[in-house]
Amino acid sequence: MNGRLFLACLFSVSFSLSAAQAEDPAKKTDALSFENDVRKILKVHCLHCHGENGETEGSLDLRLKRLMVKGGDSGAAIVPGKSGESELIARIEAKEMPPEGKHMPEEELAILKRWVNQGAHTLRPEPKKIDDDYVFPDELAFWSFQPVKNSPVPKVKQPKLVRQPVDAFLLAKLEAQGLTFTAEASKAALARRAFFDLIGLPPTPAELKQFLDDKSPDAYEKLIDRLLASKHYGERWGRHWLDVAGYADTEGYNNKDMERPWAFRYRDYVIRAFNKDKPYDQFLQEQLAGDEMVKPPYHKLKPEEMEKLVATGFLRMAPDGTGSNPAEKEVAKNQVIIDTVNIVSSSILGMTVACAQCHDHKYDPIPQNDYYRFRAIFEPALDWKSWRTPAARRISIMSDADRKVANEFEAEAKKVLAERTELVNKFIDRTLERELLDVPEDKRDAMRTAYKTTGKKRTKEQVAMLKEYPRINRLSSGSLYLYDRTLHEQSGKATQKAKELAKTLVGKIKQETLQKIPEAERAAAVAAQKTDAKKRTEAQKKIIADYPALLVSTSSLAKFDKAGAAQIQHYKDEAKRLMELKTQKILTEYSDKATAIRSKKPTEEFIRVLTEVPGKIPKTFFFDRGDFEQPKHELLPAGLTVIKSNLEKAVEIPAANKELPTTGRRLAYAKYITSGQHPLTARVFVNRLWLHHFGKGIVASPTDFGKLGIPPTHLELLDWLSQDFVSHGWKIKRLHKMMMTSTAYMQSSQRSDDYDVADPDNLLYGHMPVRRLEAETIRDSIIAVTGRLKTDLYGQPVPVKEDEVGQIVVGVANVDSAGRQKKNIKMDDRQFRRSIYVAVSRSKPLAVLDMFDAPKMEPNCEKRSSSTVAPQSLLMMNSGFMVEHAEYFAERLQKEQAGNQAEQVKLAWMLAFGKEPSAEEVQQSVGFIKSQVPQFKTTAKAAGKTPEQLALATFCQALLSSNGFLYVD
Amino acid sequence: MNHQKPISADHSRRHFLASSSMGIGSVALSWLLNQDPLQAKTPVVRPELEKKHFDLKLKPTHHAPKAKSMISMFMQGGPSHLDMFDPKPMLQKYDGKKFPGDIKYDNAAQASSTVLGSPWKFSKHGECGTELSELLPGLSEVVDDIVLMRSMHTGVNNHGQSIYAMHSGRILPGRPTLGSWLTYGLGCESENLPAYIAMVDPGGAPVLGVDNWTNGWLPSLYQGTVIRPKEPRILNLNAPPHLSGKAQEKYLDFLGKLNQKHLNQHPGEDDLSARIASYELAAKMQTAATEALDLSKETKATQALYGIDVSESAEFGKRCLISRRLIERGVRFVQIMTGNQHWDHHTSMRTSLPRTCKRVDVPSAGLVKDLKQRGLLDETLVHWGGEMGRLPVIQNDAGMAKQGRDHNTYGFSMWLAGGGLKRGMTYGGTDEFGHHAVVDKVSPSDYHATLMHLFGMDAERLTFTRNGAEQSLIDKQVNRIVHEIIA
Repeated sequence: MNGRLFLACLFSVSFSLSAAQAEDPAKKTDALSFENDVRKILKVHCLHCHGENGETEGSLDLRLKRLMVKGGDSGAAIVPGKSGESELIARIEAKEMPPEGKHMPEEELAILKRWVNQGAHTLRPEPKKIDDDYVFPDELAFWSFQPVKNSPVPKVKQPKLVRQPVDAFLLAKLEAQGLTFTAEASKAALARRAFFDLIGLPPTPAELKQFLDDKSPDAYEKLIDRLLASKHYGERWGRHWLDVAGYADTEGYNNKDMERPWAFRYRDYVIRAFNKDKPYDQFLQEQLAGDEMVKPPYHKLKPEEMEKLVATGFLRMAPDGTGSNPAEKEVAKNQVIIDTVNIVSSSILGMTVACAQCHDHKYDPIPQNDYYRFRAIFEPALDWKSWRTPAARRISIMSDADRKVANEFEAEAKKVLAERTELVNKFIDRTLERELLDVPEDKRDAMRTAYKTTGKKRTKEQVAMLKEYPRINRLSSGSLYLYDRTLHEQSGKATQKAKELAKTLVGKIKQETLQKIPEAERAAAVAAQKTDAKKRTEAQKKIIADYPALLVSTSSLAKFDKAGAAQIQHYKDEAKRLMELKTQKILTEYSDKATAIRSKKPTEEFIRVLTEVPGKIPKTFFFDRGDFEQPKHELLPAGLTVIKSNLEKAVEIPAANKELPTTGRRLAYAKYITSGQHPLTARVFVNRLWLHHFGKGIVASPTDFGKLGIPPTHLELLDWLSQDFVSHGWKIKRLHKMMMTSTAYMQSSQRSDDYDVADPDNLLYGHMPVRRLEAETIRDSIIAVTGRLKTDLYGQPVPVKEDEVGQIVVGVANVDSAGRQKKNIKMDDRQFRRSIYVAVSRSKPLAVLDMFDAPKMEPNCEKRSSSTVAPQSLLMMNSGFMVEHAEYFAERLQKEQAGNQAEQVKLAWMLAFGKEPSAEEVQQSVGFIKSQVPQFKTTAKAAGKTPEQLALATFCQALLSSNGFLYVD
Repeated sequence: MNHQKPISADHSRRHFLASSSMGIGSVALSWLLNQDPLQAKTPVVRPELEKKHFDLKLKPTHHAPKAKSMISMFMQGGPSHLDMFDPKPMLQKYDGKKFPGDIKYDNAAQASSTVLGSPWKFSKHGECGTELSELLPGLSEVVDDIVLMRSMHTGVNNHGQSIYAMHSGRILPGRPTLGSWLTYGLGCESENLPAYIAMVDPGGAPVLGVDNWTNGWLPSLYQGTVIRPKEPRILNLNAPPHLSGKAQEKYLDFLGKLNQKHLNQHPGEDDLSARIASYELAAKMQTAATEALDLSKETKATQALYGIDVSESAEFGKRCLISRRLIERGVRFVQIMTGNQHWDHHTSMRTSLPRTCKRVDVPSAGLVKDLKQRGLLDETLVHWGGEMGRLPVIQNDAGMAKQGRDHNTYGFSMWLAGGGLKRGMTYGGTDEFGHHAVVDKVSPSDYHATLMHLFGMDAERLTFTRNGAEQSLIDKQVNRIVHEIIA
């Protein structure tokens, strides 16, 4: 692709480039052509109403020159050779056309005029017939739609520099500019680069020593082999794939951002696939159609079947708000399909087809019809007319035996709960009757009927009646516990009554008895009454015997006042009865019992899959202006027309496959794009691999291989790599090794002024770039260096929560309903797991990752950015994460090199930078640590450390926040 | 409560996705403008032999500046000019009747051709007599100090692209934003506060998120720094107690030495220098920012001016007041963002628009009043506006309560104040229904050229060299300085 052609394509993008840029002076004398110069201008400004999708306003079709000459209702649009007489030119000049939005920039109009004046030439005869899907020859010729070419490895002047064919392609271009590769990187630098590139962790001192001590010629190759065999390789490269797949552990779409349980199995599938070096064609087939490779029903799954089903999680990564009761349900459903199509096309095809949703793609030859054909491949599984929410799409992987046990426990629990319900109803009735006592007797029956009449059936009168008695009106199973309080109060009142009555009656009897005694003896009687039984005199005993009622008490009241005692007892019984009517405790016992039974059930686990409902094939329609409420004609599944047109033998995607219970559309499509014939599949993937090794892609826009993308710097190399990749069985690890053992990759990252002048953006790969570590690599490396990294693989995501200041940290949220932080829940060292296992929450991104440009999955991430801002520095200086890990790092140094500060410094250097410090650096560091001790004399105790520990920790923190740690050569 | 990164509202996502996929990266642009630098026979610009050094030191301007700093209140979503700024008698006349012309709808599913007269009354205010609706009692009081622009247009009917146009001059992603250009071109008076600050709303970042304050392909030194809507306003601003003071000073000093040595071994790596600078800035920010963000020294009267005493407007008012304090301390550019799609009133406009206005109106007017009373308005350019306006017809005609208005990027209003502008005037106009800007139209490039002019810069001459090609905010688009509004 030559720069000039590309330039020409682009001024339609940038609405008005200056005339100087738009009209290449070299081109001024050249004849303009309809195909190369004119059509793309018309496509952006005119064709939407004059030619595309049957729209021919004013009967004018501008898609071909001959149609322009023929013209429409207002006569010929152009008169070749005479722009002054051409209606098209006049209308544009008068700014009548295009009618809305931006007018056509002057320089583009100038091109139209010049073309007409030159005689309105075309390069070749125009087609006799032109339908909506017609792809113009110049569009078919665009580089990325062309089949992958068999590029010969170029000859170079310095064959000694060619370790891999890759080098020859790069060197040939360098040499053409009088440039060459720079020197090889040091062994230590190379090791650090390879470790970060392949496993995303720094080399340990032992690993580094092994490599540095290995003097054999293939020491580096062996290192690469070791790293490719590491289980951490899949974690690093799986993460790259998860970026383009848009992996997240929450559903996104709206503010509810519901949890997405079981998504992690797809993450684990991806890690395993990379670790196993699963061929890329198989990897894609499983992700696009794993369900169609397993025979339903999906029950008693073998591990390899489960793997294929889990792989379809790829098509379930789009934000999905359909389970969150969204405001506009149909919009939410269609959005899932739109995002899924977007993820598939950008990740695998490196094309953004989304533009063609509402109209033909303005720059790439993707007609709107193609968009809906592409959608038709996925619509049987994502059928918005009979939608399945995320919960409904899960497949349980519980074994039959476990399920049986679970069912038994469930039945038992249900029984308990049924009893509970029965009780609740009884309690409600009972409470109702009690409350009815407050209602005038003549209204009670009516009130009861009103209460028992359910919601909508209640008459106005009933509603009004109930309103008067809110305690009845609001009685329900949910509010039942509130009535307990009333009972408690009533019971207390009855008890009080009993006590008061007893007191009154005892006092009364005593008084009456005294009255019966002759006045002279009364004083003696009172004395006898007060004297302890054992100390009474004989006389006193006699008085008591004569008047036993003198000694009446609450307990002996019955002897003297049967009726009174009975009344007291009645109150007491009432109090007791009321207490027994309390419901909550009883009901809680039942619920607790049910919970206890359920807790014995084996846990049911699920997989998230994309499946079709066998036999149900929805129709896919062309949506006018992308609006699902305006369906037009039906479209059948197909890949992109422009690619199909370039194939030797066109590949069709049958609408149904009789061999399969489902449509087989996705399987057919997956096989088609992995057949080796498709021009994009291998190119796009190889380019991604290159991007992650060399810091930029051969195509710098990894998800846009179209006209708005950036053309390849080395097309022949891209094609050679693609062909090699496919012909050697789509093996990814082989490709890594090939790239990493190239002279180009093994170069130093050292710049030189001379080279910078010649190739400031290093487009020719005359040295390696200095790259900042990616977010996950920064966090993982910090934890690794401090010695805390947990290296177990796979499993449930590590939870994240908001800390008290609103920063998102690793941890289990334990906040009460008022938002107060309750006690911390133990993490069992899960906070030291690698970042790929930390929950990807779209609304709660982990601060340390977010700050260093971890991707936002909306819906996926095409390419990461790398920012440098003060808040990152503040995080390194002040965040809890950094301070804590600096302390761990210091602990490790003190443990492994106790008492010897110089050795501690050396170890720290090796761990953080992968190299030995100079004597001067050791001396400076030791000096720094010593000079820090006084600062912590008074504060250390509060931090629970010694001043020496804290001093060492600040040294560690400095290392971890330095550029030497954060960047890789 | 979770005030973290938002998930954008349903609407924005649909349109943003469609637009962002049209992405063209920075490299593409450099390629575009330079073709192939290695194949060009005679390079257009001689490559610079000396390495570029980037900093935030004050730079000379092209001509004497009128404005020194800017506070932009970015009203993302599309405030309805027809209900706030741009009275249209024809709308009232046709209220409930069919719109007699063509409308560019955005959401076809809810489109209606029925004209919606503004439910709010307009009346004249101030000596200038500018008409504003009853939704803006605050602005009505400062109307003699502002220029109301009624003829803005971007012409691309979705949020993402229009936001790009307003922030970066083109409808494409990857380019530097206004604040980046200003700080790159002018430097910053404050050495201990970020030159460019983005104040994010509790309702989440606007559509496009961090792209609203991106430095694009300018060095990352010129990226906006985010101030959060709640405490701590700047995350990790302060050191833990045992590390604060001398311990941290010494740590930073040692870190600086490590980094300098590393840089010496990697000459020409701009990002390494930028990170060194970011540590220096971070350290100074700790004290300076804490002081700048502290509103406790502001009097009750000042706080009331910003509506901080009224619960609806307190949050926005605080951010306006912080902006003034930042400008006073030498920050070059502050952008206060409203929440994600805050002004995107597709439905239920009758209830939601007044609510939105209540949050913002008094504080924004208070900011103008306060700057004026402190003599800061002359040198501070204030901007209030979003990326679009709204259509004259009903969206979602499902009963009066549910009615709203769809996007309109063909004509909308925004206002400017101070910084060398005239006072108490309106500029430009839309057609009789307020759909299209027709009189004295102002494009994003016109707006950018004008405000750069106020800052003493020729927007086309403030360039950044990439691969021998000169890049500017205007990017060679047609533009004009709107001299009519300059005092």
